[in-house]
Amino acid sequence: MKIQDLETLNAVRQKGLAKFKPARPRIAVGLGTCGIGNGAEDVYQAFASAIEARGVDIQMARVGCFGFCAEETLVNIAIPGKPMVILNRVKARDADAIVDDIHSGAVATGRALCKIESWDHLTGVIDYGEGFPDIPKWNEIDFYKGQKKIVLRNCGLIDPEDIEEYIAIGGYRALLRTLRNGEPERVIEELKTAKLRGRGGAGFLVATKWDFMRKAAAGTKYVICNADEGDPGAYMNRNEIESDPHSLLEGMIIGAYTMGATDGIVYVRAEYPLAVHRLEKAIAQAHAYGLLGDNILGSGFSFHLSLVEGAGAFVCGEETAMIASLEGRAGRPRPRPPYPAEKGLWGKPTNINNVETWFNVPVIVNNGGAWFTQIGTDRSPGTKVFSLVGKVKNTGLVEAPLGTPLKTFVYDMGGGTGTGKNVKALQTGGPSGGCLPVDMFDTPVDYEALAQLGAIMGSGGMVVMDEDNCMVDVARFFIEFTHSESCGKCVPCRVGLDQSLRILNKVSKGQATSADLDMLEDLGPMIRDVSLCGLGQTAPNPVLTTLRYFRDEFEDHIHEKKCAAGVCEDLFLSPCENSCPLHMNIPRFIQLYKENRLEDAFESVILDNPLPGSTGRVCQHPCDDRCRRAGIDDAVNMREIHRFIADSAYGTEIETNVMKRLLARRLPDSGKKVAVVGAGPTGLAAAFYLALLGHKVTVFDENSEPGGMLRFALPEYRLPKAVVAREVTFIKRLGVSFVCNTRIGVDKTPQSLSKEFDSVFLALGTWEASPIDLPGVQCQGVHHALHFLDAIAHDKDVRIGQKVIVIGGGNAAIDSARTAARMGADVTVVYRRQRQDMPAIPEEVDEAYEEGVKFAYLCAPHRIISDGQGGVKAIEVQKTTLGEFGVTGRRRPVPTDEVMRMSCDTIILAIGERVDTVFTGGSQLELKRDGTIKVDRHSSETNLLNVFAGGDVVTGASNVSNAMSHGKRAAEMIDIKLTGEHRFARLFQAFGYGQVPPVEPAAGDRNTSPLLTPLQRKSTFDEVMLGFSPEQVRHEAERCLRCDAKGECVGIAAE
Amino acid sequence: MPKQVKLKIDGEYVNATEGQSVLDAAKANGKFIPSLCHVQGLSGVGACRLCMVEIAGGARPLPACTTPVQEGMVINTVSERLSKYRRMIIELLLSERNHVCAVCVSNGHCELQDMATRLGVTHSSFPYRYPRLPVDASHPRFVLDHNRCILCSRCVRVCAEIEGANTWNIVSRGVNSMVAADLNEPWGDAESCTRCGKCVEACPTGALVVKGKAVEEMVKRTQTVSRLATARGGSR
Repeated sequence: MKIQDLETLNAVRQKGLAKFKPARPRIAVGLGTCGIGNGAEDVYQAFASAIEARGVDIQMARVGCFGFCAEETLVNIAIPGKPMVILNRVKARDADAIVDDIHSGAVATGRALCKIESWDHLTGVIDYGEGFPDIPKWNEIDFYKGQKKIVLRNCGLIDPEDIEEYIAIGGYRALLRTLRNGEPERVIEELKTAKLRGRGGAGFLVATKWDFMRKAAAGTKYVICNADEGDPGAYMNRNEIESDPHSLLEGMIIGAYTMGATDGIVYVRAEYPLAVHRLEKAIAQAHAYGLLGDNILGSGFSFHLSLVEGAGAFVCGEETAMIASLEGRAGRPRPRPPYPAEKGLWGKPTNINNVETWFNVPVIVNNGGAWFTQIGTDRSPGTKVFSLVGKVKNTGLVEAPLGTPLKTFVYDMGGGTGTGKNVKALQTGGPSGGCLPVDMFDTPVDYEALAQLGAIMGSGGMVVMDEDNCMVDVARFFIEFTHSESCGKCVPCRVGLDQSLRILNKVSKGQATSADLDMLEDLGPMIRDVSLCGLGQTAPNPVLTTLRYFRDEFEDHIHEKKCAAGVCEDLFLSPCENSCPLHMNIPRFIQLYKENRLEDAFESVILDNPLPGSTGRVCQHPCDDRCRRAGIDDAVNMREIHRFIADSAYGTEIETNVMKRLLARRLPDSGKKVAVVGAGPTGLAAAFYLALLGHKVTVFDENSEPGGMLRFALPEYRLPKAVVAREVTFIKRLGVSFVCNTRIGVDKTPQSLSKEFDSVFLALGTWEASPIDLPGVQCQGVHHALHFLDAIAHDKDVRIGQKVIVIGGGNAAIDSARTAARMGADVTVVYRRQRQDMPAIPEEVDEAYEEGVKFAYLCAPHRIISDGQGGVKAIEVQKTTLGEFGVTGRRRPVPTDEVMRMSCDTIILAIGERVDTVFTGGSQLELKRDGTIKVDRHSSETNLLNVFAGGDVVTGASNVSNAMSHGKRAAEMIDIKLTGEHRFARLFQAFGYGQVPPVEPAAGDRNTSPLLTPLQRKSTFDEVMLGFSPEQVRHEAERCLRCDAKGECVGIAAE
Repeated sequence: MPKQVKLKIDGEYVNATEGQSVLDAAKANGKFIPSLCHVQGLSGVGACRLCMVEIAGGARPLPACTTPVQEGMVINTVSERLSKYRRMIIELLLSERNHVCAVCVSNGHCELQDMATRLGVTHSSFPYRYPRLPVDASHPRFVLDHNRCILCSRCVRVCAEIEGANTWNIVSRGVNSMVAADLNEPWGDAESCTRCGKCVEACPTGALVVKGKAVEEMVKRTQTVSRLATARGGSR
């Protein structure tokens, strides 16, 4: 039926409405490519069979995608008079139950994602009804909150293969009106008012472009839709065409009429078969209804539209290359001018716009340009669709007003990584865009703001990256992409990108130098300024932005041959080794243990890590987070294995033999003297290696015994003093002398030490409590966590009351709480965020719970109330709510007016530690603002000659293994400085051991260390974690997948 | 008579004809702008990017060979940035394939070599890529040595625009691009080739040469190509 006028259009509309909003229930399955990939076809069939089997009166429909890819398959249930409910993660097996529910007029709340009571298609409003109070409205759930659907107005709601449904929601009325009015200038006026900018990425004003084309000489003119979407990770256009092809057609027909075009082409990627299929169908239907072809809507205007499938060259997204491709030539761009509006396809005036630009046209014509400017920013009105992908929980298509900050996309809609890992960067604009670090997530998304930071908005790819993404690799990936997609016509893009890629390959292999980075920074601006087309002009962006915001990572690859993310394979042995601050060769000691070579295993362990008994108990075990076994079941419990090896060696012949081996390998006496200040983990690690390197090492410490935080801050039940003492003794036997009860800054100064010694290493730790602005803090009964733990460790008589409140969420807070609990107190930990935000080791928190410690989350200290005699009576805490996301990816606690009083007699503040700067002793040592020492990242050198520093005194409070890694590196650097040679590697023994990974992973769950029962724990300070049994170690060692073994897997090779 | 326009190049007012490129206008006024892919009389393609100039009011440099003159244009052909970029382009070209002047038949008569000398390029800061590329000696009179090709596409254009044979084209993409005869056949098998030799004369380096020449013997007559183009009315 040909539509001729409003009357016939309305007739079709009524027909469409009968299908779109029938008088019986309708089940619509989301059948975009994403849904189909998740089994939506099966779901559809299951519903159809369920309906048929029951003989119930329910209508089935196929719709596009409503955008929430992570929750596919989405199914819309519309029961007349009730809200339309969107079900998520629907499986074919759910169909029967859902159909039964519908038949009884209900929807199971548990399956529902959200509901829609009324929907504004922007061409018409559809009211469904009210009800289902337990189901949230669509824009009340995190993913859709903050979204504004203009381009996606119909996606996932209407049947894309039925033109009548599009007409039902008010489609093609804008076209009818435009043709009836016969004033194409008015369309351009509306677009000008709307300030609509091209959505392909460049953001050129659409009205200007259209006006240019309109004024070009009459005759044959072309309009082209650029649907050659090729950015890695971007699929907005695919979904738009798949879900709502008629919006594109209507936009193009209005555009053709406005600009006087006679012919149109949609240039779609051939890799989008479903989009091609639905678009072809839409074109055929539009012809049949008189909306395309000759004499459209009886107006006398004729427009012919065809579809061309692009063969997949990325550069064909560039308009002149696209024209070349359409003319049957190789897709290579040509210089502009002449612009396509003047001389385009076949030399005729041509207009090219992106899919989304065309989508915006009908609604602007329908609602007016002024309406459009109410959304978005002043310079960039409207919305933009992004495909939110990568390391983000809620993947999918999001459409939000321009000007929405990046963090809203990543955290609010995206829900962060959802894995507990931190977001590191956001990549926008694909290979033409850039990587922006978390501290720039306040940036509003618009053309100018992103360009200013070196990225671009682009066509709408948004890739979230977390700590497992290596920024060098990201830069390399994108350059590899543009390098292979470069057409080769102009020199800077063709050869410049090749040279850039070669440099990045060198960086990722650890073979680059600083000069290579300089060359990358020279090449970037040249390629950008000189290249012929947009591909080359934007190709350096990923490199330039990663260099600008993540330079440290490039430098780590170059100077330390380190890829912290564990991506650049040539730079690490295995993910666990790479994640270990000490770079312990974990697979090696596991294999040596499996081979019953306990002596070798212990030597391997202690050479990598001089305090294995201690770290075996208290390490934060970052290795667990990277272990590939976690992909099968759970990470291998590496910490417990090395603890077991250490515990089995100390005090036995093994220790004696390994000591002999080490002493035999110790380098000859260098005649150099090194002072180490601080006998904590950092200082002990440095002393160990410096002694092995043949230097005479003296360790100074203000305490009565060596051990630092290990001895005086970690409670006995976690790390027994005897373990620390054993390890200190081991280091003493290597020839290290300890001078205790000597305070630097008081008894000696860095200067006096550097006169006495050839080199000085400052590793003093952070022993001063951070100040807090809390009324009543001076009361008796208020302790600082470290002082409290230190006093206990010194066996001082510490008095605490019956009711103890601990403030904080770190390890010091949990240690204090559990210590106080053991002293018989009733303990509550007050923390301003939620449990999952606590920096403390999660197992420690679990154990605290078991021991009866109570927790009050979302509470911040407000004031301490005195009992009138100088003591504490209570504390008032302010309830907090979680507000905006901060740079750590955690929500910031925001205090509310609600104040709660908690009675108590003791308060322990565990809100952080800082450096006590007394040690500088008036020297010129350069400190940072927070009191930590400023050092060179790679050499550990301070500004004073021959004075090095490391550990917490440099980084601020951290953890044992991080601190030790500083000591280890400083030892290497000090040795280089003292001898001028690179001798560190000579300390390490090569072990021959099995290199065959298991053919099949050994079965079995992760072993955990047996614990004392909570009852036993409550009254004693005995060690809680008892350590593995030999059977457990053996089993746990078998679980290792041997990611380090690069040889062939024998079992597979035999097949 | 086409309209005359007035513009300023490096601070000097010059006259030009409407429709003329900035490069041609500069040349007509005795001003030198470096270029390699351009031949007077052939269409401009903007491939080598050596002729980039700064035009007042524009953020990025534009190629002089494809930018038409406009009344009142203010053009800068020399700047520190442009010199740096031009030298980098020459260095990139030298690093791309195997340009070994000492054993090249075009040594001493090579536009790439001359341009490198003129722009003060003494060496390449970029590592040489040393690709393994073939030499096509299948043609009875000429040789195509891909090792010396800079992909300027002068051969492609002279063959299409002056001779009308359309023998040459460029196949593949990016750094793998290659000049190819007919349907990527040995040149000697290319039926469309008229053996006119215009491509050889147009080639700026020793990539397309006459057979039998020894080192330094190959001298090109690029002016002949321009003269032919002018005689034919000029395509541009």
